[in-house]
Amino acid sequence: MQFWALIVDSFRESRDRKIFWVMLLIEVLVLAAMACVGFSPGKVTILFGMWEVKTDYFTTGFAIRTDRIATIAVQFLMDVVVGWVGVTLALIATAGFFPSLVERGAVDILLAKPLSRAKLFLGKYVGSMVFVLLHAAFFIVFSCVIVGLRWHAWLPGYLWSIPLLVILFSYVYCVSAWAGIRFRSPVVAINISVAAWVFFAGIQATGDMFETFPEWKENRLAYNSVLVARWCVPKTHDITYLAAKWSGAAVSTEMVPQAHVEEKDRPAVERAGRSELERMNINPFYTIGTSLGFEVIVVILAMWRFARSDY
Amino acid sequence: MVALTEMTNWAVDLIDVRKTYAKNIYALRGVNIQVGRGEIFGLLGPNGAGKTTLVKIMMTVVRPTRALGTILGRPLGHRGKLARTGYLPENHRFPGYLTGLQLLDYYAALAKVPSATRRRNARKLLDQLGLSQWGDVRIDKYSKGMMQRLGIAQALMNDPELIVLDEPTDGLDPVGRRDVRQLLLELRREGKTVFLNSHLLSELEMVCDRVAILVEGLVARQGTLSELTEHTVEYRITFSGDARPLKNKLAGLHAAVDGDMVILSGHDAAKVNAVIDLLRGQGILIESVQPHRFSLEDILVEAMGLTVPQPQGRERQRADRAS
Repeated sequence: MQFWALIVDSFRESRDRKIFWVMLLIEVLVLAAMACVGFSPGKVTILFGMWEVKTDYFTTGFAIRTDRIATIAVQFLMDVVVGWVGVTLALIATAGFFPSLVERGAVDILLAKPLSRAKLFLGKYVGSMVFVLLHAAFFIVFSCVIVGLRWHAWLPGYLWSIPLLVILFSYVYCVSAWAGIRFRSPVVAINISVAAWVFFAGIQATGDMFETFPEWKENRLAYNSVLVARWCVPKTHDITYLAAKWSGAAVSTEMVPQAHVEEKDRPAVERAGRSELERMNINPFYTIGTSLGFEVIVVILAMWRFARSDY
Repeated sequence: MVALTEMTNWAVDLIDVRKTYAKNIYALRGVNIQVGRGEIFGLLGPNGAGKTTLVKIMMTVVRPTRALGTILGRPLGHRGKLARTGYLPENHRFPGYLTGLQLLDYYAALAKVPSATRRRNARKLLDQLGLSQWGDVRIDKYSKGMMQRLGIAQALMNDPELIVLDEPTDGLDPVGRRDVRQLLLELRREGKTVFLNSHLLSELEMVCDRVAILVEGLVARQGTLSELTEHTVEYRITFSGDARPLKNKLAGLHAAVDGDMVILSGHDAAKVNAVIDLLRGQGILIESVQPHRFSLEDILVEAMGLTVPQPQGRERQRADRAS
């Protein structure tokens, strides 16, 4: 009963923020834009048939080609629209949750209730996840349906993006929660969590560069340092690879028509394709497990601080 | 064992409560307070005396440096007993995105009140506190007084045995204050214990059975109002005439001339008569004789080690009549 009350309260708090509705508006606009475009054999329709563009691309192998386009689109949605823009907006929307929790006058009443401080903290934390879960579910379910109905490509694996997105958000949000408790300021919480996110992505990108250019591995100290750091921090970018993999997305270099690749560029394109394939074949237990390990440690630190403070 | 400890007569039994903040700031230096079940207990003291810190320690909001004793028969800091306690903090902040009913439901759910009871109690309390029309209105539309009433309602949602109220009449108009006083008396009639922290001494005098005066982190005085005031009585005799020649003789009777008034400490009727005889013997006309009991404010000021400000002569008499 207590946990449920905290989750409902977190949802009400998020709903009260303007950014909740801004996010919803962006989601609706993107979904509407997707729905405007339809693919049919031999043509592309825009604005529900107001314009038609005839193309030979869809004349043969229609199903395979729309599938390819759909997987590229959902990859883009997951990586950019939902991954970067969505998570950033969600971080902004939820950054005030913990500072408002520990606000003098508000926290007094909550701490005087018969529930432990750990439970109170976790209730608020999970409540923030519910906010993201609802947005993610709304956007991904509807985009999945639109892609199916309008583009004739059914990608049930794309629905895996819902829990993956919540997990991705939680990797960064744990830092925001800690900063919110520590500094009691939403602005500081946003800045620190975004900085942490950029740092995580930077470590991942550096690791990817070592895989793309194996000759860099000759510098053993640098390589080993990056490996250790990569193991420790949340693998935010790997989540988008996992989402792409489970959505059935193809490697992006496969999309490039072979006839357009010059002979001298062929080895580089093949190497990039292999590297991308390797990243998409990453072990989900390793990726999610080690990242959740980081999250658990940060949450325990934040919870400890919350439990040991006077208000 | 638990049953035995819960049977104690004290609703609140605080022993040697200490709180030291960083840099050796001593907020509480060994507070001992006992509050009987079913009584209204008032905590008073100057700003910075440690009253709010003590209340927050009772409600587990602040962690004591050292504390013994019990609340509702359970050790201080025991979370389970909070289900039977209601609390209104000073300067509380409620989430503006909730309506009055949602807020009461939320806090009562955290206090483990069953859903059906929550709905029933919320309506009843809003009605009792004059907010029945405001239950479905967002709290950010409430005035300060309404917010205070809502705060009291949330403290009562779990039908608590012990109610701890920190400045409950803050922001209320005179009618609202009277309503709160009546509510407190009603709670006492229902056998509930009320622990009241207020700087409005006149209100404490009107409702409290017992009070404690906290000064610099220590209990300076504690007891019933009559216990605290029984040794603080003086007689004030006003007269017309010149009493200056009698100054030394009056001093022998522990009386002092103050303008057109003689002040006699204590409550010895024989001495009062002796002073009157002395004045009349000098041909002085006695205008009035009034016993004067110290107010809670006087006691507080005295406990703080300050001089009780004395109005002069007739001005003083007018003030007494007015009070």
